[in-house]
Amino acid sequence: MLKVTDLSKQFSSGGSTVVAVKKVNFKVPDGCFASIIGRSGSGKTTLLSLLGALEKPNEGSIEVDNQDVAKLSDHAQIKYRCNTIGFIFQSYNLVPNLTAVENVMLPMEFAGQPKDQRLKRAKELLEQVGLTADEMMRKPGKLSGGQQQRVAIARALANKPKLILADEPTGNLDSQTGDMIVKLLHGLAKSEDTTIIAVTHDLNISKSTDKTFKIDDGVLKEV
Amino acid sequence: MNVISRGIRNAFRNTIRTASIVVILGISIGLSLTMLLARQAVQQKITDIKSSVANTITISPAGFSGFSSVNNSLTTAELSKVSSLSHVTSVAESLTDRLTTIGSTAPSFGGQSSSSTGQTSLTSPVTINTSGGGGHFFVSGGGSLPTNFTPPVSIVGTNDTTTLNSTALTITSGTALDGTADTDNAMISKSMASKNNLKVGSTFTAYSTTMTVTGIFTVSTEADAGTVVVSLPTEQRLSTQTGDITSAIATVDSISNLSSVTSAIKTTLGSSTADVTSSLAQANATVAPLNSVKNISLFSLIGAVIAGAIIILLVMVMIVRERRREIGVLKAIGGSNITIIFQFITEAITLTVLGAVIGLIIGVVGGTPVTKLLVDNSTSTTTTTTQTAGGRGSFGQSGGGVGGFTSRLNNNSLVSGVKDIKTAAGWGLLLDGFGAAIVIAILGSTLAAGLIAKVRPAEVMRTE
Repeated sequence: MLKVTDLSKQFSSGGSTVVAVKKVNFKVPDGCFASIIGRSGSGKTTLLSLLGALEKPNEGSIEVDNQDVAKLSDHAQIKYRCNTIGFIFQSYNLVPNLTAVENVMLPMEFAGQPKDQRLKRAKELLEQVGLTADEMMRKPGKLSGGQQQRVAIARALANKPKLILADEPTGNLDSQTGDMIVKLLHGLAKSEDTTIIAVTHDLNISKSTDKTFKIDDGVLKEV
Repeated sequence: MNVISRGIRNAFRNTIRTASIVVILGISIGLSLTMLLARQAVQQKITDIKSSVANTITISPAGFSGFSSVNNSLTTAELSKVSSLSHVTSVAESLTDRLTTIGSTAPSFGGQSSSSTGQTSLTSPVTINTSGGGGHFFVSGGGSLPTNFTPPVSIVGTNDTTTLNSTALTITSGTALDGTADTDNAMISKSMASKNNLKVGSTFTAYSTTMTVTGIFTVSTEADAGTVVVSLPTEQRLSTQTGDITSAIATVDSISNLSSVTSAIKTTLGSSTADVTSSLAQANATVAPLNSVKNISLFSLIGAVIAGAIIILLVMVMIVRERRREIGVLKAIGGSNITIIFQFITEAITLTVLGAVIGLIIGVVGGTPVTKLLVDNSTSTTTTTTQTAGGRGSFGQSGGGVGGFTSRLNNNSLVSGVKDIKTAAGWGLLLDGFGAAIVIAILGSTLAAGLIAKVRPAEVMRTE
């Protein structure tokens, strides 16, 4: 269960204060695929950063797996990012000189898992997202956009996270590949019992998710 | 795949850039090692030269010149003050004169006039290299060499008959003289004995006095072979120079006291009375160019090390700035600062180790030639000065022109010995160099590490 209460974040910019997230409250149950829609600059990426402990809120709480993320120390935040959440980025952000399987093994290495377990799990995940054995051994530059995003999804799932945060997961993909990725995420949410929060401006995605939120000038509403 | 292997692999992401960095680092490390080897070799040479120096101080009458027929002299009374100074263990005093062979027409050699008393029946074993009129020889004041010329015979009266011109004498026949007893006895070289058909018990004349050969010795130089050794009182009596001394050598208890005792003797006798030089001063003059090489190599070493550190620092800063986004991603997926910094340090170490391999090859191959070049360039400008200083000091040391030439030659060999220098790159030094390179890599990565720590993982979301 993800529970966000009175979450606010403001930035200082050029002497003025910009409120990016205003008193946001929402809940998402386990295994739910939720989407957050909003126009550019509405605060959706800031909200995602707060949920992923990449930013610290000015006030409010984020409860994931019965712990308040907002109150975690720096060291605990690293552990939280490593073990509790998984990130999927719009431009995949795979490490270019590592193969697909090595990219997926990376979060497991940070979590301190043994090498043979890492390799086994990485191959299973890549198989699950539809990569062939040959494609697993390729570096990102030798994979298509859709294949790279599949690798990114597998990497996000590597440590069996409670929460996956996806920032425009289909933003760089054609509509057909995008649909495939969304279906894949739906399936994984169920099979891995993982909560997925996807930030998107693609209304087709938001229509297919279990819950949809709209954020406008930092204020979040369920639609 | 772990953090170390990832760091190593990252070092080869851009082959051309990696090769360029490695070559530049290799040159820097090679220069550092070359300078380190040069410094070590030069330091070893300086130590060798100084350790070979005897703990003696040469005292000559002020302005003494072997070519001059009239010189100042020291006195026994003055030198007794030297003997009483702290740390002085003994003072070997000598009075040197030159005898003309009876019948030789060489009245003006060395600018000296012959006298009826300053003659000897001995013929010097030294031969002048006329080579049928085509040889090379030197006539003081110019002119030609008379047909019946024979080189003069040096006679040294000394209270220490165990050495001649600071070289130990080896008695091969008879016994050594008592340097303090006034007798008509003398010691001659084996060459002199052979030339004049003399043996222990034979007699010859000097200063119109019949002298008896009591000992025959061997020497290593032709100049010393042409020298007769008598006791100091004997020479003072025969040459009617009672109480006069033309040269003295004070021995000091320890080489560490050499400098202070030299100063004390200068103060005691005064600069208008005596010229005082220590063997250490001579050695210092000889190693002066080596010291400048040592300094040059030190500064070059420091410069090369700093250059290497700056190169790796700038390279790592460039790499970190370039991979800022990747660092953000690594942090976002659970990488800690320490893990990521360690990965980049591994990358820096990989580049440095590759550079160090090239650098070690450059250092080992170039160490000796570069050191020789530095020493040659440094000594070529100072050799003339050293030779002149050595020659002047050696005249005082020997108390005669012939001995002076000998010492000058010895000093030339010392200078050439200075140039005979080789570097030695032992495993220990190479390992130290390797270790230093890794330390430089780690230090060079510190700024990069600081930049890594400052990268906020949220930045990766902002650049989406």
